[in-house]
Amino acid sequence: MALDELDRVAANRGDPGDPSRRRLLAGLLTAYTASLIPWALAQPAPHADRGAFTALSAILVGRQTLDAAQATRLYDALAAAHPNFPADVQALLTLINERHVDPLQLQGVLDNEHSPLASLPRAIVGAWALGVIGSGEGARCVAYETALNAVIVADVLKPPTYAYGAYGSWTRKPI
Amino acid sequence: MSGQLSADVVVIGSGIIGALAARRLAQQGASVLILEAGPRLERARVVAAFRNSPIKGNWMAPYPPSPWAPHPIYVPQDNGYLKQSGPYPYPAEYIRAVGGTTWHWAAQAWRLVPNDVRIKSLYGVGVDWPLSYEELDPWYQEAEELLGVAGADNTGSPRQHPFPMEPVAEPWSMRRFRERLAPAYPVVANTVARNSRGYDSRPACVGNNSCQPICPVNAQYLGINAVEAAEAAGAKVVPNAVVYRIEHDTKGRIAAVRYYAPDKSEHRVTGTTFILAANGIESPKLLLLSASDTYPNGLANSSGMVGRHLMDHPSTSLTFYADEELWLGRGPQSPSSINTLRDGAFRSQHAPYRLDFTNISQVLNVTNDLIKEGVYGAEFEKQLRWRAARQVNVKNVLEVLPNPDNRITLSAEKDAMGIPKPEAHYAIDDYTRRAAEASKTDFARIAELMGGTGLRYSADGQFANNQHITGTMSMGNDPKTSVVDGFGRTHDHENLFVCSTGVMPTAATMNSTLTGVALALRTAEHILPAKNTHAGAMHSGHEASLA
Amino acid sequence: MNASARCLLLLGLIVTASVHAADSTDAALLQRGQYLATAGDCVACHTAPGGKPYAGGLTVPTPIGNIIATNITPSTTAGIGHYTEKQFSDALRKGIRADGQRLYPAMPYTSYAQVTDDDVHALYAYFMHGVVPVDNRPAPTRLPFPFNIRLSMAGWNLLFLDSKPFTPDPAKGVAWNRGAYLVRGLAHCSTCHTPRNLLMAEQSSRELAGGAVGTWLAPNITSDANSGVGGWSEQQLVDYLRLGHATGKAQTAGPMAEAVEHSLQHLEPADLQAIATYLKTVPAHHDPADTRAVDSWGAAFDGIADQRGTALPDDAEQWSGAQLYDAHCASCHQVSGEGSFDGGLPPLFHNTATGRTDTGNLVMVILEGIRWTDATGVHMPGFAHALSDHQVANLGNYLTLRYGNPAARITATQVANLRSGGAPSHLVALARLAMVVVVVVLILAIIVLWRRRRRRRTSSGQA
Repeated sequence: MALDELDRVAANRGDPGDPSRRRLLAGLLTAYTASLIPWALAQPAPHADRGAFTALSAILVGRQTLDAAQATRLYDALAAAHPNFPADVQALLTLINERHVDPLQLQGVLDNEHSPLASLPRAIVGAWALGVIGSGEGARCVAYETALNAVIVADVLKPPTYAYGAYGSWTRKPI
Repeated sequence: MSGQLSADVVVIGSGIIGALAARRLAQQGASVLILEAGPRLERARVVAAFRNSPIKGNWMAPYPPSPWAPHPIYVPQDNGYLKQSGPYPYPAEYIRAVGGTTWHWAAQAWRLVPNDVRIKSLYGVGVDWPLSYEELDPWYQEAEELLGVAGADNTGSPRQHPFPMEPVAEPWSMRRFRERLAPAYPVVANTVARNSRGYDSRPACVGNNSCQPICPVNAQYLGINAVEAAEAAGAKVVPNAVVYRIEHDTKGRIAAVRYYAPDKSEHRVTGTTFILAANGIESPKLLLLSASDTYPNGLANSSGMVGRHLMDHPSTSLTFYADEELWLGRGPQSPSSINTLRDGAFRSQHAPYRLDFTNISQVLNVTNDLIKEGVYGAEFEKQLRWRAARQVNVKNVLEVLPNPDNRITLSAEKDAMGIPKPEAHYAIDDYTRRAAEASKTDFARIAELMGGTGLRYSADGQFANNQHITGTMSMGNDPKTSVVDGFGRTHDHENLFVCSTGVMPTAATMNSTLTGVALALRTAEHILPAKNTHAGAMHSGHEASLA
Repeated sequence: MNASARCLLLLGLIVTASVHAADSTDAALLQRGQYLATAGDCVACHTAPGGKPYAGGLTVPTPIGNIIATNITPSTTAGIGHYTEKQFSDALRKGIRADGQRLYPAMPYTSYAQVTDDDVHALYAYFMHGVVPVDNRPAPTRLPFPFNIRLSMAGWNLLFLDSKPFTPDPAKGVAWNRGAYLVRGLAHCSTCHTPRNLLMAEQSSRELAGGAVGTWLAPNITSDANSGVGGWSEQQLVDYLRLGHATGKAQTAGPMAEAVEHSLQHLEPADLQAIATYLKTVPAHHDPADTRAVDSWGAAFDGIADQRGTALPDDAEQWSGAQLYDAHCASCHQVSGEGSFDGGLPPLFHNTATGRTDTGNLVMVILEGIRWTDATGVHMPGFAHALSDHQVANLGNYLTLRYGNPAARITATQVANLRSGGAPSHLVALARLAMVVVVVVLILAIIVLWRRRRRRRTSSGQA
């Protein structure tokens, strides 16, 4: 999509975000997918593959700021675990773009169509949310405290093994 | 055969029970050797291993089995160590390492209720114990003071003296259960081996919410604390010593045990008194393995009961969303229970049970659910917070009756050291299943009182296991129907004792560790009474048992 | 009733009445004495671990040897039960025992010299009537020659003892004066916090600029904004003294934790406020190495995120600082060093523990942890048994680099030294050497003078 269109979409969403980022992703998104991303991604993505991964990740986890160092780490781990990962990511992004698939419907659509991309969203969301790549014997932890499921509740809970606070501090109402 | 070790007392197994028995005997002046099949562990490594593990819900991940002393692992794959011959699976978990399985427990340190030891007389089911609650009471007290048990006198088990510590501070989530379920269901604080203040040079709990698999800060009493106490008292621990045979002499007294080192070299250890404390599965396995011409059915097995009457605590549960934000995960994992269904006339009809509220963080469960359901996009975060704040769970802890067909035997398969693996034959009978059915009414009522939605009952006929291994070396007065007497001495071998939850002849409804420790302390006293000299007591063991 | 009986009755009534009056005065006096003894923290030195209060026996290590605190209960056989008030006052404020022997200034009589007569009276009443007598006499102090000569303290006192009780400064307010009285007097802060000269006297020109207590540093608490507490609010100072910590600043450990636990946390809020008021005016002493406030360094930093999934080396000596932090520290101090929600488990940045250039206290708290003797018990575990010297250095350098002053470094040798009780002092050897030198000089001087006299006599004899 055109850059000025992207700027307009971002302005409509009420936050300007980082213009250089939008520049980079301009070629990857349509107005639809741009509207799915709460803008202000953390840092510029270095090249198109990683940019596509970051955009797809942002769509799938619906998350404003995705840490760039973490994105790099996860991208590298996922690419190592999945043959054809960059191409699959592009393909899924294109699919969402072109068919305007609601993220909540996405898995159902892919499963119903027996799409070869059906395992991809789960892998990406599992990586971001749980910090885990792969499954079964081959599963690897790549994040724990910075996994999104910890970050999302970080105002209320510490991840297990981390102390909540001085003795008795858990008797209070949470928030 | 290299280097002969020898001691007055040889203890097989370095878990919380074996170690505290060893400590008491060492304090009375005996030389004590503790042989442990597995290696030494370091708390800091376990903590880091958990954080680096890919399956956070797999609490055994930080405790990989060692090749020479395997223990059962089921995730991600069953390692096939504990064989199952059905009809119902018995996927017990335990840790073979210095400190044993209580590296990884929620420290629930319960007493029985007095009627638990007399259910045959009272209700016509199960068996009676060869001792009374009153006889066990002082040993419970000693156990509670050693472990540092925090509790209040409102849980249904009578006591003579106060708890060493006040109950652990109640998490907000549990307070709301207590407030909203009253008066229909009184919710009480669990009696736990967890510090509610500085105790025994260990800090108070700071709510790491990871009691299982590891307390990172030493606020919870673990088997390793018991081992350190035993070593401080003079006991010596030999790790990586896989005992594979108990040897007897011509008079039927135990003369020695043999163990493998990891390199499969053989070692022989002699002693005067032997204590088998290798949990309710590994201990009967060892007794059966030690069969000889004189004892073709295994040691201590003239009754044929070794390995039989296997019991544990099965559980079914209800998960639901409360109508207010509770945020499980703040504070310790197992703070509260409902104890009013543990006893009563109904026990002649169906099993009693305890109702247990978890405070384990629901974040992991909820995340897995959301991914499975394909909840992507902005909804993911919203749903994660909504569900993690409200999802709660109540489970039952059901009594199982002793059934001789439920048993541990030797498998035809052997482990890496050439030792037969243990095999479980297990079933859950109608006595227990009727109780599971009855408890559903309680679950539903509890959910109702909490404004519950999204009720998800555990699958009918499916029971989770609680790793409270009991019954396999039951105590009793009659040598024809039991393995050990009321003091834990095997009927068949004068100098062989068993200290284990495996001697409990019925399971009741309470986590079995504290009872196992209390019985073990009583056994240690019986072997070597406090304030007696070593020489006098050791040889008058037989006389003492007739008293 | 006859006249004499009535007289007796009246006398009895008067005596009873005056005894009752004395009792009620006494109760208030005893209470005040107890409060002042708490402010003076007498119990800290005069009670052995696990021992009876004030019965002595605690060994105070000093560079000149171990000094054993005496029994100051009112026992007449083993304590100070036979002391008159004058003798009590002399011991407290002049360092002279009832038998005339001098006390070593491990007993901070140089500070207690400031205590007013009224307060001495209350203290005396408390120690005579409010403390339970204990009839055990602890071992006597035996210092190596020449320090066992107590009379030498007379000369030392001449040089260094300012024996006048505190006089309020009329130009300053009530709170400042109360604070000055407490800080310079009973609370004897300078005993630890003021540097000492070679003769182990406090350097009065550098009041509270920092001193040593065994292996612990008693830091600069002057009003300097970088090196001292100039950047602290009075409330933060009060919090620190009352609770043992000030969020975003510091927490007590070692000997200061004891001082807070036994003494300072029991002081009245007005007194703590007064101390804070005074401290903010102590002349600033600045260490040029402190380029910013020692509690202003660092920020949240997650050094573990990119370690996740990396197996730990089997050999723990190979673990990186981040891996040591993950395994031992992060459980309480959290993955980014940010501490718990309520600060009860403190953050490691904006914390003097990691901000000082002198890293001794950081090493000490890692080794020993923080333990109070009350029900709170262990506030922080010690890692002396879990970590080697090299690991402590590795971990400590990670902490100062990421959460504190990156220029503050720790070496394994430093850790080994502190673990073993500190670098040995050469004072005894020096003193003996000095004495030998003095004796040799004296002998030489006598020889020279004697020879000169002989020459004069000889020469005059020839006249």
